[in-house]
Amino acid sequence: MNENEIIAKAQAGDRVALSQLVKLYEQTVYNFAYKICRDKEKAEHTMQETFLSMVKSIKQFSGKSKLSTWLYTVVSNHCLMMARSNKKHAYTSLDDEDALIDVKNITDWDITPDKIAENSELGDILDEAIKKLSPEYRVVFMLRDIQGFSTEETGKAIGLSVPAVKSRLHRARAFLRNELNKTFSYGT
Amino acid sequence: MEHNHKSTCKEVMNHICDTLGEDLNSPTCTSIKNHLDSCDSCQKYYKSISQTIQVYKKYEWKVSPEAHNKLLDILGLDDCDDL
Repeated sequence: MNENEIIAKAQAGDRVALSQLVKLYEQTVYNFAYKICRDKEKAEHTMQETFLSMVKSIKQFSGKSKLSTWLYTVVSNHCLMMARSNKKHAYTSLDDEDALIDVKNITDWDITPDKIAENSELGDILDEAIKKLSPEYRVVFMLRDIQGFSTEETGKAIGLSVPAVKSRLHRARAFLRNELNKTFSYGT
Repeated sequence: MEHNHKSTCKEVMNHICDTLGEDLNSPTCTSIKNHLDSCDSCQKYYKSISQTIQVYKKYEWKVSPEAHNKLLDILGLDDCDDL
């Protein structure tokens, strides 16, 4: 049975089909939520709210976009809403665009595909870098680069203009690259 | 001259950030590609940005069995888990 057939069954009230959709997407939704929320409890809460929303709205789902696109949009906005209600955390400012790209400091990285595949050490380094990035930037980087949304789709999902998406994406990429550069660069 | 060269690189690096993952064969990207072919510094930058994205794509957090069970319970679908 393909996904559209499962969705059709779920829309007709088939609870088993509904649970199949949940199982199909729970890992994706949780991973995505964690990468934005940076907190296990918040990611689990976001996952629950997202699937509660899906269960409530599945009959209205038109199929014009992919179900995954709809789920990513719900997760993004839920995480942003939680972040806005908790402003205690101070993130690195990315306002100084000139400081993000230092042409004199561009070096080769001592990193091989094997290292990327291993991913354990890199995970910790990235984890620290991502934590410094505010959710507003993280979500753009996630939707655009990790999930493969277009610039327009990203803007539509979280209510940003195309220039605003491009600006945030550019700064987020440059910031993360700079953070990893401290570990991987050589030959300066 | 040096200043002009750096400014050009910076513009290219900014543009890489805008267009990475999009169609680099578009007319607006042709000059970027030409610059990339001849500029060592920009090639390194382009590569490192690509590697950053690649690293993060491979980093994954798993749903715990407890979180999975709680989710199905909240949704009222726990009886469908093994079907």
